[in-house]
Amino acid sequence: MAGWWKRHPYYLWYMLREASCVFITAYALILLWGLRRLAQGEGPFEDWLESLGTPGSLAFHALALPVVLYHAWTWFKVMPKTLPDTRLPAAAIVAGGVAASAACSAALLVAVWWFGLWSVP
Amino acid sequence: MQTVETDVIVVGAGGAGLRAAIAAAERAPQMRIALVSKVLPMRSHTVAAEGGAAGVTRREDSFDAHFNDTVSGGDWLCDQDVVDFFVRRCTGELEQLERWGCPWSRQADGHVNTRFFGGMSVQRTWFAADRSGFHMLHTLFQTSLKYPSIRRFDEYFCTELLAEDGAVRGVLCICIATGELVLLQAPSIVLATGGAGRVFRQNTNAGTVTGDGMGLAFRAGAALRDMEFVQWHPTCLPGTGILMTEACRGEGAILVNKDGYRYLQDYGLGPVDPWPRAKAMELGPRDRLSQAFWHERRKGRTLDTPGGPAVHLDLRHLGAKKIHERLPLITEAAKTFAGVDAVKEPIPVCPAVHYTMGGVATNVDCKAGLSGLYAAGECASVGIHGANRLGSNSLVEIVVFGRVAGESAAEHAGSASRKGISGAHLQSAERRVLEMLSNDRGEKLATLRDEMRDAMEDGVGIYRDDAGLRAACAKLASLRERHRAGVRLDDRSRAFNTEWLGAIELGFMLEVAQAMAHGALERRESRGAHRRLDFEPRDDAGFLRHTLARHAGEGAPRIDFRPVTITKSAPRERHYGGEGKKAVLT
Amino acid sequence: MTRTIRIECLRYHPETDAEPRLQAYEVPFTDDMSVLQGLQYIKDHLDGSLTFRWSCRMAICGSCGQMVNGVPRLGCETFLREFWPGTVRVEPLEHFPIVRDLAIDQSDFLAKLESVKPYLVQKAPPAGENTNLQAPEEMQAYYRYSKCINYLLCYAACPQYGLNPAFTGPAALTLLHRYNADSRDAGRAQRMPVVNQEDGVWGCTLVGYCSEVCPKDVDPARAVNQNKVNSTLDYFKHFLFPRAKEKS
Repeated sequence: MAGWWKRHPYYLWYMLREASCVFITAYALILLWGLRRLAQGEGPFEDWLESLGTPGSLAFHALALPVVLYHAWTWFKVMPKTLPDTRLPAAAIVAGGVAASAACSAALLVAVWWFGLWSVP
Repeated sequence: MQTVETDVIVVGAGGAGLRAAIAAAERAPQMRIALVSKVLPMRSHTVAAEGGAAGVTRREDSFDAHFNDTVSGGDWLCDQDVVDFFVRRCTGELEQLERWGCPWSRQADGHVNTRFFGGMSVQRTWFAADRSGFHMLHTLFQTSLKYPSIRRFDEYFCTELLAEDGAVRGVLCICIATGELVLLQAPSIVLATGGAGRVFRQNTNAGTVTGDGMGLAFRAGAALRDMEFVQWHPTCLPGTGILMTEACRGEGAILVNKDGYRYLQDYGLGPVDPWPRAKAMELGPRDRLSQAFWHERRKGRTLDTPGGPAVHLDLRHLGAKKIHERLPLITEAAKTFAGVDAVKEPIPVCPAVHYTMGGVATNVDCKAGLSGLYAAGECASVGIHGANRLGSNSLVEIVVFGRVAGESAAEHAGSASRKGISGAHLQSAERRVLEMLSNDRGEKLATLRDEMRDAMEDGVGIYRDDAGLRAACAKLASLRERHRAGVRLDDRSRAFNTEWLGAIELGFMLEVAQAMAHGALERRESRGAHRRLDFEPRDDAGFLRHTLARHAGEGAPRIDFRPVTITKSAPRERHYGGEGKKAVLT
Repeated sequence: MTRTIRIECLRYHPETDAEPRLQAYEVPFTDDMSVLQGLQYIKDHLDGSLTFRWSCRMAICGSCGQMVNGVPRLGCETFLREFWPGTVRVEPLEHFPIVRDLAIDQSDFLAKLESVKPYLVQKAPPAGENTNLQAPEEMQAYYRYSKCINYLLCYAACPQYGLNPAFTGPAALTLLHRYNADSRDAGRAQRMPVVNQEDGVWGCTLVGYCSEVCPKDVDPARAVNQNKVNSTLDYFKHFLFPRAKEKS
C-alpha cells in the first residue's frame, strides 16, 4: 500500500484535503498568538501586527489562503455525506453551505471594515 | 477425498435453494443443512428477475381467478391439484418475505402495491420497483445468515448426483477455488439449480443457467417432464437478449411494429380499446406475443437493428416520473446496453429464450423420481406452468415450492436410513470428472457450445416442424458424440479452472437440449409455447398429456406420456383480448 | 465495424506462479462490446485458461467487478470503445487476495456482511395485518442503501480497507445502516456495537471514493458517515445514562 495515494487523482485530492489541516492549524495558532499579544498590551500587539508584514509571513498567508479555501470547499463537498438522509439533493446542500460561508465571510469583512473606519483616530 | 456428512443437501442457492434451506432449518433446527452453489448466493440468476411475484391480495381478486388465469395461461397442461395448492400459498409466502424485510413497493397508505402482468385478470403482481428478484434474493440470502445450521459451500460445483438402489446418497462436488473433489453425503437432496436457457443462443439468462440440476437428476435416473415447452420472452434487447421486463407493459407500455402499428390486434389480442384492460393486447401472455412477433417478421413489418429484427416497446406516454419510479433498472439497462433513453425514445425489442417450463418431474411435495430427491424452482416441473408460464408465477413459485421442498427433505432426512456410497460407484464418478481434465485431444469448448446453440435456435425455435426437429435431434446426437470424444482444454490445472467447469456444463446442456428437441418432435400438436407448423391445432385427444423424458445412456432420451391432472377446469379454447372493462392502474 | 484493441490481463496461477504478471491479447471488437465480452472472446478463441467471474452480464449480479485501467468498474457495462486506440488493462479488484487471474477471494467480505446482522430483527405486524405497514416516505429512509449488489467496487476504492483489512468497510456498513434505518426493524441496539468499534464507522476517514465508483448510486460514504453522528450520540447516551436500558 506504500504510495497508494499517488495511484489515483481522487486520492491525491483527498491527501491535499487532509494536508490542508496543517495550514489551518498554523493559521489558528498565529491568530491565538495575536490574541495573547493583545492581552499583554499595545506594544506587544503592535509587534505582532508588524511581524505579519514580514516577507515570510506574507508568503505563508499567500499560500494559506487558497489552501484554506480548498479545505472549506471540500468540507462543504463532503457535508451531505455526514447528514441524515433528507429530500434535499446533495448538490443543494453543498451549494447552500458554500453560499452561507461566503455570506458569513462577506459579513465579517464588512463588519471589520466598518469597525476599522470607526476606530481610526 | 474430503467427505462431509450432513442431513440435507440443497444444490443451488438462488431463491428456491435459499428458501428450501431456511425451511429445512426452521422445520428441523437440529439438522445440518449443506447449501451448495457454483456461485455466491447473491450472484444466482434470481437476481435478474425484474417484474414481480403473483399473490392474490386485492379485494376484487380470488384464488379461483388466479387458478383460472394460470390454467388457461398454461393451455390446460397444468396439474390442477398442484395449481390449486400453489395459488393458496402464494400470498402467505410473499407476506413472509415482507416480514423478512423485502422492500416491496407500497401504496400511499403503507400497504403493499400490486401491478398488472400479462395473462393475469387482476393486478396481482407484488413488485419491488423492477428489481423484484434482486430484492427477494438478497432478502432470502441475508435472512439465511440467521440460521447457524445452514452451512454454505459457496463456489462448489456439483458434478454428479450419486444414487444407489433408487435412493440418493450424496453429491460429488468440485471446490472451485482449489479444484479438489469433495463428497457430500446426505439422505435428502434438494435440486434448485434453475433453468437451462443457455442452450439457446439468444436468451435473457445469466451464464450460469446451464441446466445443471436437470442434467444431474436426468443422468441419475429421474425423469424430465414437458421439456419441449420453452418460453420466449417477447421484449428483450436484440443481440444480447437482455430483458426488458413485462412490468413495462404492466405499467402501460405498448408494442408497435416498424409502421408504428399496434400489431397485436391482428393476432387475437385486440381490439385495442378500451386500453389498458386485463389479458388483452400487450397484457396478453408471453407465448402469444412472441408468436405474433414471429409472424410480423415473416410479413416484413419488423425493424432492422444491428442485433437483428425488432419491434418497438414504447414507454414514453408513461412520463419520466413513473418510468423512473417503477422501472429504474430497465431504464438504466436500455441506456447502457442499447443506447436508448426510454423516456424519449421507444426501445427496440425482440423475443429471446427466457424460461424452461419443463424440468425434473415432481409431485406437489416436490418429490422427484428417486427416494430422497426433491426439486424446486425453474429446474423442477411441479406442474403449475403447463405449456406456458404466466409472468410473475415463477418468482412466487420459488418461495412456495422452495419451502415445500425444504420441509419435505428435512422430514425425509429425519426418518430415512443412511447409507454411504459404494466405493466403485464413487471411483467411477471421480474418474469421469478427472478424465475431462486430462484430455488433450478433441475440439474446443466454444465450437461445440456454439453449434449446439445454433442447432437449438434453428430447429427448436418459436415455430417448429418435423424436418427442423429431426435435424436438430441428429445434430445434438453428433455433438454429444463429439463431446464424449473429448473437449480439448487449454487449461488442465485444478485451481479455479472455469474451462473445465464449462466442459462439464456443456455435457449437462447437451442432454437437456436433447430432451427438449425429442419432446418437441414427439408432441405432434401445438399448445402454449410449443408451436408445430405441421400440426397446428391443439389436440386434446392425443396430447393432453405430459411428456416424460428418460435418460437412455449414450443414446437419445426415451419419451413417454403421462396424464395431466384435471380437477375443475375442463379444457376449452384459450381466450384473450375481446370485450372488457378499462383498467385503472395503481 | 470491427476494430482491434489490446487487452492486458493480470495473470496469476496459485499452483505455478510466484508473482502476478500481465499478459496481452489482441481482440477484435465492435462498438457494442463490453470489457466482459472482450474477456469472453479471449477465453473462447485465444486462451481458455484466462479466469474471471461473470454471470448476468446486465449489471445486477455483482460478479464481474474488476480494475479497468486502475479504476474499479463493472466489466459488463464498461465498453471497449471507450479505450480504443489505447489499451485496456484488466486486473482483479484491489485490496483482495487473488485466487486466480481476475478472480479474488471474497470470504473476508462475506464474514463482514454476516457480522452486521443484515436481516430484520422483527417487530410484530400491526394487529389485523399479515405484513408491516410502511409508507413510501418511510421506505425512502433506507431504500437507496438496499440497492447494493455487493460488487465490492467500494472496497477496492477504499484506501482505509487496503491499509487495515479489519475495517468493516463500505458495503457491509451500508447494509447495517439499511436495516437500522428500516422502520420495521428492532435490531439497532444489537448492531450499534459494530458501528461504534474502532473498525466500524471510525475506520472511515471520508475519502469518499467508494460513493464515486458505486455503479448503483448507493452512496456508501453517506451511510457510513451519518453513523458517526449516531455513534457519537450513542456514546454520550451511555456516558450520561450508563444503566439506561437499551431501547431499540
